[in-house]
Amino acid sequence: MIEVQGLAKTFGQFTAVDGVSFEVREGETFAMLGPNGSGKSTILKSIAGLQRPTNGSITIGGMDALKTSLAARKLISYLPQRVGFHDCLTAHEVLEFYCRLRKLPISRIDQVVHGSEFNFNGFSEKRVSELSGGMKQKLGLAIACLADAPVLLLDEPTVSLDPAGAIAFRKFLKTLKEKGKTIVFTSHVLADVEMLADRVAVLVDGKLTAVLPIEELRQQIADKDRSLEEIYLEYASAA
Amino acid sequence: MELSSILPIARRELIVAIRNKWTVIFAFVFGSLVLAISYFGTITAGEIGFQGFNRTTASLLSLVLYLIPLVSLMMGTQSFLRNEGEDEMLFSQPVSRSEILTGKLLGLFAAMTTATFIGFGVGGVVIATQTDAEGFLGYPVFVLLSLFLTLVFLSLSMLAAIISQRRTKAFGLALLLWFFFVILYDLLVLGGSLLLKERSANYFIFASLFGNPVDIVRVAGLLSMKGGEVFGAAGASLLKFLGGYGQAIAALVVGLIFWTAVPILASFRLLRDQDI
Repeated sequence: MIEVQGLAKTFGQFTAVDGVSFEVREGETFAMLGPNGSGKSTILKSIAGLQRPTNGSITIGGMDALKTSLAARKLISYLPQRVGFHDCLTAHEVLEFYCRLRKLPISRIDQVVHGSEFNFNGFSEKRVSELSGGMKQKLGLAIACLADAPVLLLDEPTVSLDPAGAIAFRKFLKTLKEKGKTIVFTSHVLADVEMLADRVAVLVDGKLTAVLPIEELRQQIADKDRSLEEIYLEYASAA
Repeated sequence: MELSSILPIARRELIVAIRNKWTVIFAFVFGSLVLAISYFGTITAGEIGFQGFNRTTASLLSLVLYLIPLVSLMMGTQSFLRNEGEDEMLFSQPVSRSEILTGKLLGLFAAMTTATFIGFGVGGVVIATQTDAEGFLGYPVFVLLSLFLTLVFLSLSMLAAIISQRRTKAFGLALLLWFFFVILYDLLVLGGSLLLKERSANYFIFASLFGNPVDIVRVAGLLSMKGGEVFGAAGASLLKFLGGYGQAIAALVVGLIFWTAVPILASFRLLRDQDI
């Protein structure tokens, strides 16, 4: 579904991503793990068409995401790490705006807010200025779900959520996964990775150091009697 | 570009401008200006009371040439500046970057147009009820020119925000643009003309008119209100050079279209290669 080949991104002298290649299969949940500044968000932003790679290619659903970016972006929904909306709008108005932008019927809002497994209720008539960080993140997720796009790109999706919200969010992502969505997410929260991911990419200093099926990671945890954190740190320090 | 992508963005921008009270504030400022200038305009002559459209419009024009560029630059820069979380979500949608910019520009222009119509409209109605209708036709032309000036400076604010990217730098550049076009430019042109011989100086001044949208609006306003005679010999030569009153107005309008289009196209080009 997504193919990244030799992706590189530099900002002046700083190399954020250095020749990264990987493939995400249709219906797969692919996690990107790595310390701060390892290039996870830059890769996700490049796939979402927000950043222009210095080198390399990205295809989404067989389309060149750099040359036919509008068509490719129809296949994706992106949730940034920090969402932001105009404070004077209500959550419902924000959802309406994105519905119109995606040329979706306004009735789609009800389907997402009231009809999904995730509890989006309770915020739709509130102004954005009245929403907490977690509620804004939920609003961002609701927007990402509006288009029912086959690919979801999520940058640190549970970072602003409280523990209950994070658990509910993971469950919700599982339902999306069961519906056949292709999900790519970055995370520092290893519980997210362990629960959701089919495969895990470990990034260090902009380089891809390993791509492992989650079963292999679980096996290593069992064999070596170590935690996922310890296994992850081993890969990170080996780079 | 698709209208169905541009309109939701324009609509949202308009709603935000109205909710943030900018539109109401500017409508109030514009309306107060019209009424104050009309009522107190002849206070130095020891008179007080509403003046007709001719004098009010001429006095308003001078003030509007300072005020509208400043207001448009500030409002535009604020809106076109990056808002990290918001822009990432917006620019990842299947909408082109030029559609996003066009939508924002149209929304801001609609907000400013609303403020202009309300402010100058209410003022105009009060003057019409208090004085005779002489010179009334010049008033809508003045409002139209004010809107053109708004559009030019909103386009320039878009370019300033895209070039600068950072808040402080963008507002600094916007203020610099205001200072250059509203204050400095005419001084530079006058200084430059002193260095030239009379004939060359005339051509220089004439050509320099098109280098500043504020001057274009000033000249178009005076021409439409009072005709070429207001400029004396310089006005006569301007009309002669351009082939008459109609052609002069057309040339000035083309100049304003140029000053609107160039910053917009430059912004499209620059944003295309920028990272969000």
